[in-house]
Amino acid sequence: MKQMNRLSTHFAHGLLALCLPLLVQSNSLAAAAHVPAVVVSPKNPATNLSLGDLRKIFSGDKRTWPDGTRVKLFTRAPRTIEFAALLKLLGKSEADYKQYWTSKVYQGEAESEPMVLPSEGMQREALAAYPGAISLVDADTIKPGMKVLKIDGKLPEDDAYPLRP
Amino acid sequence: MRASRLIAISVFLNCVALAQDMASTGTVSSTPSDQRETIRQLVQQIQQLQARVTALESKQGPAEKSAAAVSATPSEESALPASTQEATLATTFKDDHDVRGIRWRGFGEVNYKVLDQREPELESLGFVPGSAGNFYTGDFDLFLTSKITDKTSVLAEIVIGEGDGQRFDVELARALLKYDYNDHLRMSFGRYHTGIGFYNTAFHSGRWLQTMVDRPLVMEFAADGGLLPTQAIGLSVTGQIPSGTLGLNYLAEYGSSDTIRPDPNGNDDVDENNGNHFNVGLFLRPESVPGLQIGGSFYHDKISDFLKGPAVRLGQTIANAHVVYQGHGIEFLNEAFLIRNAYEGGGPTFNMPAFYTQFSRRFGKFRPFFRYQYTNTNSNSSYHDDILLRHGPSFGARYDWNESVAFKTQFDHTIRKTRPDLNGLQLQLSFAF
Repeated sequence: MKQMNRLSTHFAHGLLALCLPLLVQSNSLAAAAHVPAVVVSPKNPATNLSLGDLRKIFSGDKRTWPDGTRVKLFTRAPRTIEFAALLKLLGKSEADYKQYWTSKVYQGEAESEPMVLPSEGMQREALAAYPGAISLVDADTIKPGMKVLKIDGKLPEDDAYPLRP
Repeated sequence: MRASRLIAISVFLNCVALAQDMASTGTVSSTPSDQRETIRQLVQQIQQLQARVTALESKQGPAEKSAAAVSATPSEESALPASTQEATLATTFKDDHDVRGIRWRGFGEVNYKVLDQREPELESLGFVPGSAGNFYTGDFDLFLTSKITDKTSVLAEIVIGEGDGQRFDVELARALLKYDYNDHLRMSFGRYHTGIGFYNTAFHSGRWLQTMVDRPLVMEFAADGGLLPTQAIGLSVTGQIPSGTLGLNYLAEYGSSDTIRPDPNGNDDVDENNGNHFNVGLFLRPESVPGLQIGGSFYHDKISDFLKGPAVRLGQTIANAHVVYQGHGIEFLNEAFLIRNAYEGGGPTFNMPAFYTQFSRRFGKFRPFFRYQYTNTNSNSSYHDDILLRHGPSFGARYDWNESVAFKTQFDHTIRKTRPDLNGLQLQLSFAF
């Protein structure tokens, strides 16, 4: 009986040891809630964008930065939080988004559809390679070489950040 | 956020170590007071670590955080030069539609059309006038672009269209040298689709791109019986006007149209013998309603009246106003036109109105649509006297099989002045590749 009690105590401690940090972790994740950050090349002098300008950029209507550099769009693959945030920003479904960009290229209003990158590492490479590059990235996974832009003066950690899900 | 993770990992490791320690020594007392003490210690550790992170975060302000994110020192960045990196990246993510720097896309269609016509209707796009119904391929569209420099590119659209007797002709629908100086000044030289209204420059020749099977009659290409000069050769300039959240844009075109229209009733083609036209337009895309476009255009040209002799000239003016919304799965297109033909030297003036309204909404892969169109030309005018009053609804649905193939079904009912009403069924398999 004593043995049983000891075993159950060990089990309870083990469970507690597992659950407590998970609770802590889940609380902090709930607070972060995978907020998409807008990142550009470190060479880009911009520090802030209005939500309207961000929408214009990702809809291909604004194609140059104020210093004349051509905007180069990079996105993550469908069914990522970054892509979901992009669709929400543009007010389009995935199918509408693809058709929209095919039309945009066909109208001669864009050189190509936004390039889809499979990882944050590739996003970092893209930002290093293209001075006019811009992309959305999960704020939890920002890497060195990614310059985070404020949107309407707010950073991803701010409560009033416009791209907060 | 990283700090939170570190805390969690740290606490987790601490807890596991504590649990292992207690288990291995076998000295754990099973009394409730001991359990409470263990929990108290764990909570205390968490609180201490949280306090440390809060202190660290308070030292690192937002600006510093951004700076930290920017801190791509040369050693952190790739040692490759930017041009090499770009080339490497471009190679890594080479698009299937890119062949030696020339990007291409294609659009095609297969159609079946039935009309209860008792008098022959227009032969266009391969449809045989007078037939009960037949298959035809319509336009096969190849679209090419190539970047020459950072700001200069070439765009070409080659359309292989079906004519009578399944004969096909090749047309250079667009061929443009484009120069984008910045967002406020974009220039194109060559053959373009005129920017009269919205539809002509939004959908061009690719039927896959448009929701419905066909274009509204007023916006149909002139070579397929439409009323407007839809193509021209010349210069086109467009760009944004600094206007804050209003999103104002301009358009200016100067070129030669040389429009030849077939007669919808099967008579000879009509050559309008255009002079050089100018077309100016303004439209706004307000930030407050993404997807909304409100605008208008004003086109002017001089054309000849061949029925009265090529020396008889008249001024052709086409005014357009449009309100378009495309967003949240909704497509709502509304355009109105006034075509005004005025003879020089005090001759008669003909005002011919036209409009269409089109609504559709996406439900998953289905997109039901409805359109009502109206054109009213003058029987005394040498131009468009074959159209007269035509109006009526069209409705149907589009089903997107996948990202590249769509199937459309469309019913049309057209009321024609001096002719019997016309009912039609159109089926279309359109695709992009």
